[in-house]
Amino acid sequence: MGNGDDRYYSLRLEVRAFIGVCILLATGLTTDLRAQAIAVQGGNPTLSITTAVAGGEPIPVVNVATSLRYQRRFVTQKITVATVCPSQSFILKVVATNVTSGVAQPEVTLTNGMLAVDLVRSIPWGFFNFATCILQYTASATFAQGNSADLGNDGHTVTYTIVRQ
Amino acid sequence: MRPVSPTKRRIALSSLVILLFGFSAQMEAQVYGTSSHTVTVTVATINVVQVSSGSVSLSIIGAGVPAGQDQMTAVDQTTNLLWGVNSSTKKITVSTNLAAPTFTLNVLALNPTQGTAAPEVTLSTVATDFLLNIGRSSGTCTLRYTGIALASQGMGTDTHTITFTVATQ
Repeated sequence: MGNGDDRYYSLRLEVRAFIGVCILLATGLTTDLRAQAIAVQGGNPTLSITTAVAGGEPIPVVNVATSLRYQRRFVTQKITVATVCPSQSFILKVVATNVTSGVAQPEVTLTNGMLAVDLVRSIPWGFFNFATCILQYTASATFAQGNSADLGNDGHTVTYTIVRQ
Repeated sequence: MRPVSPTKRRIALSSLVILLFGFSAQMEAQVYGTSSHTVTVTVATINVVQVSSGSVSLSIIGAGVPAGQDQMTAVDQTTNLLWGVNSSTKKITVSTNLAAPTFTLNVLALNPTQGTAAPEVTLSTVATDFLLNIGRSSGTCTLRYTGIALASQGMGTDTHTITFTVATQ
């Protein structure tokens, strides 16, 4: 076998190896990255309103115990929020604070069956590195809205979605 | 036309596969991921009631009382009652700690923003209806106190600690 043949087979092997790696990366990486594109961290918070001012209204409660971890990509992205809460009685709002990548949007009032509303916009492209923000929930109620003993608690399933902007 | 070598065909095919992967990822990529959690909001049963000022003083001095009239009165309506209730079927009652007052002290809810004022109450140690049907509300009313003394009761001072209570109606 001459030098030409050796180079030919060597090149074929390199090309095959390259293609194999590309396929592995394309499949493995996209699957893995998709699974981790966004994650709520910190569990399931409970906000309890227990005090009030006579002649005023019950005092709102704020919770900042949970956060979002999301992944940057080669496109500009945004995060939206929506909730499902059948028989909702009270008021729940959320705003993103301490946003490490992107621009926080105004506070969102979470209402059962709402369309997804922007929470963070203009997340700039990046090489799959992660960013975070704190979820600041505020629960409030009026006296006229009643109490949980009569009406039950509000259980929101709040969903965050990261999409291409 | 020169025949395409098997290697080139494979490279072309593999590139196509990679492109398709990329494209499919990109096509779906309008949504890259979702995550959910449960957020619970609870509201306790809250009943709050407060008076706007700590003390009220009524002085019956008999000024302007015609000679021969036994009853003298003094009225004060400088204070308010404020409340907040998030349960239905609630009322507010009133009572005093003074078991045997020398003089009579009455109280009436004026212009309540919610509910219905009960008839004027003569204060005693027994809780008596003051404001009815306040429901789930936040409201206020003016407190009208009327001190009544008879000339025959002589002089003296009654000091009441008056308690307003949210109760089930």
